[in-house]
Amino acid sequence: MGNRVRLAVLSLVVIAAVGYLILTGVKQTGMQYMTVTELARLDHAPKAEGFRLDGVVAPGSVVYDQREPKLQFKMTDGKEKIAVVYDGLMPDAFADGREVVVEGAYRHGDRALYASKLVTKCPSKYEAKGLGKDKS
Amino acid sequence: MSELGRLSLLLGFACSLFAVGSIAWGLRTGLSGPLRGGRRAVWAVCGLTVLAVILLERALLARDMSYRYVAEHTSKDLPLHYAFTSLWAGQEGSLLLWLLILSAYGSAFLFAYRKRLDPFYDAVAMVIAAVMVFFTGLLSFVSSPFRILATPPPDGMGLNPLLQDPGMMIHPPILYTGYVGFVVPFAFAMAVLLLNRSGTRWIEEVRRWTLFCWGFLGVGILLGARWAYIELGWGGYWGWDPVENASLMPWLVGTGFLHSVMIEQRRGMLKTWNITLIALTFLLSMFGTFLTRSGVLTSVHSFAESNIGPWFLGFILIAATAATALILYRKALLESENRMDAIVSREGSFLFNNVLFVALTFATFLGTTFPVLSEAVTGTKISVSAPFFNRVNVPIALTLLLLTGAGPVLSWKRVTASVLKRNFMLPAFLGVIAVLVALPFGATGVYPLVCIFGAAFVITTIVMEFARGIQARKSAETGALPGQVVSLVQKNKRRYGGYIVHAGMVVIFLGVLGSSVFQKEAHGPLRNGESLKLGPYALTLRGVTDHQRQNASLTTAIVDVQRDGKFVATEHPSKAFYSKSQQPMTEVALHTTPMEDLYLILGGVNEDGSASIQAYINPLVSFVWVGGLIMVFGTLIALSDRMRLRREEKPVP
Repeated sequence: MGNRVRLAVLSLVVIAAVGYLILTGVKQTGMQYMTVTELARLDHAPKAEGFRLDGVVAPGSVVYDQREPKLQFKMTDGKEKIAVVYDGLMPDAFADGREVVVEGAYRHGDRALYASKLVTKCPSKYEAKGLGKDKS
Repeated sequence: MSELGRLSLLLGFACSLFAVGSIAWGLRTGLSGPLRGGRRAVWAVCGLTVLAVILLERALLARDMSYRYVAEHTSKDLPLHYAFTSLWAGQEGSLLLWLLILSAYGSAFLFAYRKRLDPFYDAVAMVIAAVMVFFTGLLSFVSSPFRILATPPPDGMGLNPLLQDPGMMIHPPILYTGYVGFVVPFAFAMAVLLLNRSGTRWIEEVRRWTLFCWGFLGVGILLGARWAYIELGWGGYWGWDPVENASLMPWLVGTGFLHSVMIEQRRGMLKTWNITLIALTFLLSMFGTFLTRSGVLTSVHSFAESNIGPWFLGFILIAATAATALILYRKALLESENRMDAIVSREGSFLFNNVLFVALTFATFLGTTFPVLSEAVTGTKISVSAPFFNRVNVPIALTLLLLTGAGPVLSWKRVTASVLKRNFMLPAFLGVIAVLVALPFGATGVYPLVCIFGAAFVITTIVMEFARGIQARKSAETGALPGQVVSLVQKNKRRYGGYIVHAGMVVIFLGVLGSSVFQKEAHGPLRNGESLKLGPYALTLRGVTDHQRQNASLTTAIVDVQRDGKFVATEHPSKAFYSKSQQPMTEVALHTTPMEDLYLILGGVNEDGSASIQAYINPLVSFVWVGGLIMVFGTLIALSDRMRLRREEKPVP
């Protein structure tokens, strides 16, 4: 019986440790999903630090300094726009009108998201819609 | 031709249904006719699937643009070998590949057990056929690869440039061979429960099937990492992307099972747990396919949002419910034969190992699905990415590393203090030495030092195990050391194959440590003749050239690489522009040495003619690939072990 108790205690310790890691991990690294409109219409600095934004690269807004490298652009969801600053190389699939996901810290003073991660969705299948209907 | 393709899949659907029904009938009535018919139907599904694949391949190779799938994924200027591999470039073709491998497993299973006249094997075939019903149905009614366009375009959309890579030609089939193969262990487990079979023979068979699939899945994951490293051009090979996690989860649970199954074989314990792990491995590989195909999560792969998500989710729920219900229903069958004697023992360490593997899987699962879960629970969508996984998974993985050293030197049942002392002193001592040696190289922080200690500890215990084995046999045989090692391994392939796998894993740990903690980066615009300094390297731009390739034009920077003032190589980081996709593709230049990779990216050419170069030193990356090869070697040794026949299973009255 002593072993069963010890086993249970050991399992509980492991579960508690992993639970602790997960909880603090979420708290410290979790990023809140926001739409561009929600973030742009905030009238005060948000409590949370990290944000994740889905949207489209506003056409004509891209400023890219290849030498730094530093990429600046405006992201839009059709209604509002948010400035995004990304210190890094422009991803291959990045272009005006492309769907992008950015993660980073939002600074209310600059009204800008300082992205630590920038993912461009691959465009091929959006074009594929141009193939038209199936033969019935 | 497309009608023939549709027809073959539809017939495949009918045959799968027939196989399930016929075998079920045969099992109920005890008649051998329906069982034979069902087995033949499984063979037929395989033949029909091969036919469908040939038909789709014919269209791909001929670039028959009237096929929607061909028009979406190829173009006329696409090289022939990439046209061939476009079969798995999109959803419909990938599902067809799934079905092809599934039906191949079905046939391989029937072939391997063709001489066993036990209805148990028919029940296994029935479960495999039930999974076939799902895939043939999906390909027939929801996601057909044989859709024909009303107006065929003059040329196709082209293959995604990211997939135009030799690694991508073999990565998906190998990964799927692992993924899909977990169907067989699952089918064994379900058949055991359905027929209420006791005995240990099936568990040995399941162990071998699992080991086979697990090996392929591991290779597939590493090939994917290698592809990301070379093609995605961000300097790393693992980003905790949902798609990567999806392939990792079944591998983790499978690894846990491969350990705990030994306890069941030795001591008749943990039966419920093992059968749960088998089911979980299969369900997670289905879930992985669902994740990559459903579009519920954002990923670098970002497949189109598609209509098959709900079908997959439905199938997973049904399979999970059926498995859970069967396990509960047959509780008596899964009764443990023994009790654990002590926590500090081989069993105890395996149990701890299992808890950690499941915890690792759980944390990965939670992190991957966190946006969906948090929205469902709290209403706000929260996502976690690489920092979360590093925080949570790295300590668990390091604990597992330490356990890798501890487990094999603990004896079964009970460990005495003197054994503990004898087995642990030397590895611990060498571990401390390794840490002291690593300190001057700039290793700081708890995790890196624990990793170095653990690596030295595990390698020492493995060497000690080999030495002890040789010593024990010394009286019987004499000869050169290599010959003795070989004959020792041959004596117990499972055991020593396992140790070799452990050694490979340690090498991977070191590779991950080196490339994550000690990575160095530098970037800058370079004019002709200008140099960029990075660690011991000096990178000098020698010029920029443009040239044409079959379906792309290339801009290439010519960079001379010097290490400690000595010329070592000329590298060519490039940007390719594929005519079809109208987007640039970074082509990384890689200068690989055993101890580090120099990783060069051409950011672009500026107006003044200078080239923006980004460079990384990734220490020990080659350890990751070499460790993988060692693991494959160990897995092959363990697999080559001939099946030892144990007592025959008897039906429980």
